[in-house]
Amino acid sequence: MFFRVIPKSVIPDLVRGLAEQYEVVGPVAKGETFVYAPLADAADLRLDYDTTALPAKRWFFPESEALMRFRVSDNAVVSESLDTAPRVLFGLHPCDVNSLLLMDNVFLGETPDPYYKARRDNTLVVGVSCTPGEYCFCDAWGTDETHWGFDIFLSDIGDDYYASIRSVMGADLVDRYVPCRAITDEDTAAFQRRTAEFKAAFTNGVDTSQLPVLLDAKFDSEIWDKLGEKCLGCGACSMVCPTCYCFDVHDELDADQLGGTRVRTWDSCQFKQFAAVAHGQNFRDTRAARVKYRYYHKQWGYLSKFERVLCVGCGRCTRACKAEINPPRVVRALQTGVVD
Amino acid sequence: MAPRLVVLSLASDFGCQVQLTNMTAELLDVLGLVELSYWQLATSGHMPPDYDVAIVEGAVTTTEHVELLGRVRETAAVVIAIGACANTGGIPGIVGREDLEGRYGAVYGPGPAVATGRRAPLPLDAFIKVDYHVPGCPIDTGEFLRVLSRVLLGLSDRVPDMTMCASCKTNETVCFFDEGRLCLGLVTRAGCGARCTSLGRACTGCRGIAPDANLASAREIAVRAGVPAAAMDDALRIYNALTEVHA
Ligand code: SF4
Ligand code: SF4
Ligand code: SF4
Repeated sequence: MFFRVIPKSVIPDLVRGLAEQYEVVGPVAKGETFVYAPLADAADLRLDYDTTALPAKRWFFPESEALMRFRVSDNAVVSESLDTAPRVLFGLHPCDVNSLLLMDNVFLGETPDPYYKARRDNTLVVGVSCTPGEYCFCDAWGTDETHWGFDIFLSDIGDDYYASIRSVMGADLVDRYVPCRAITDEDTAAFQRRTAEFKAAFTNGVDTSQLPVLLDAKFDSEIWDKLGEKCLGCGACSMVCPTCYCFDVHDELDADQLGGTRVRTWDSCQFKQFAAVAHGQNFRDTRAARVKYRYYHKQWGYLSKFERVLCVGCGRCTRACKAEINPPRVVRALQTGVVD
Repeated sequence: MAPRLVVLSLASDFGCQVQLTNMTAELLDVLGLVELSYWQLATSGHMPPDYDVAIVEGAVTTTEHVELLGRVRETAAVVIAIGACANTGGIPGIVGREDLEGRYGAVYGPGPAVATGRRAPLPLDAFIKVDYHVPGCPIDTGEFLRVLSRVLLGLSDRVPDMTMCASCKTNETVCFFDEGRLCLGLVTRAGCGARCTSLGRACTGCRGIAPDANLASAREIAVRAGVPAAAMDDALRIYNALTEVHA
């Protein structure tokens, strides 16, 4: 990794430069919220955003995507759709950069998912530092920092960004499009001060001590029944979660029934139909079982396989869940034995 | 041989049949797959004695409807219920289960001669086995086409049973409850893509209450947002007056 200091004032020039070769996607305002959307104008980029409604995963793994077109008469695949458009995701916070690494473990493992991989291979990631919001708790998992998974990471040090450059491509783009200079010791000191302020600003202290032990030891605890009484089974938590990757695949025939499209959509373990199998059996029939499963998988199942929990503390589910079920509260319930 | 199709209506405003005519891009393809024997809104002539697939719109509100529906079930191999009226009782269901005569009287005057053989409205499921369901007021034509595809392929009914909020979040909307406003998406069956909330209108529950809906928790959520629980129950009467709503 090497570093540059980039004046904040030249960010629009950088975006405009990138736009010559790439579709640039970044946080923009949408009503009372922010969303990652293609930037029509560099001035629309809102690097002061708190969080986005949906995470960046949809630019690699969209909520609904056509995987292929087929013909019914002979079951032939007529065309496959791989999205290889060159794209830059500009302005991801550390939690969202980290979430992509967790997704990669799943989609780029032994059998890479070609649709995800095509987008991932053709997308550059530019991260930006942030200020902890009301629901943020990435500090609990150490996902408040990121040292890989991006091409450029911009840390706010006042009038300038302290830019960490992680890839050749990132270096090339910075040199090509914006005036920048090498870092000095003062810049690094400013970066450290700013990091300390950032770390001190978190308010959702989550005590994660011995969490895997608690999950196993309290598998039959009544806290799950209490949470199940509140849960709506709505799946909003999974949709907004940057690390939820479950999907469903189905075929949609054209109106003439001669051809069709194979479609992949987001799914959620919180839906009752999710665990319905042949013969009408459902191995997670109750909301309590489904909420427990979500937490069990995120904080223990994935951890035991990939040595990270499957949560980056972005707080999107805290905001989305009207039943007020969220990781800080569930972890508190595991620690104390009661749902507060 | 192409299945012989009939489209008929009980108590409704024909809105879902109009919706079928609105499938301008697909209608000719659909008509190429079936033999259209009767379509109450769009063909002249009478219901034939024999057919294979019956698409039924509307709620059952008279004894004549009950008899007709019985005959339809005996005749058709497949019955498809389209629209809120047919699936939950919908708008005709607002009249409720009690004091039917008083309510008719309030609208039409004492002892009205309208709707002979009238009875408390009910959805089709209350009388016959319905093979496929396309809920909504009006139906979504995309969903109708997907269901028709399943009918033609002999696949089972697969009406979504989750609630609305996941689709709503996928549309990147701010929740009505965050603004202290009521939305029935918390308990309403998904499948329309949460179209209303993405257009800035709260969900009115036209697709019916989802089978696994958590009404008790939804009421608590409403109260926390400053909406009285009774307001939620009132709003549910628009399309779900006939659905048992448990505390
Ligand atoms: S579980 Fe919640 S806080 Fe954790 S990554 Fe998913 S949405 Fe963010
Ligand atoms: S935990 Fe919350 S957001 Fe998730 S399914 Fe339950 S009610 Fe919906
Ligand atoms: S309650 Fe309504 S507005 Fe809120 S998430 Fe659900 S469908 Fe959307």
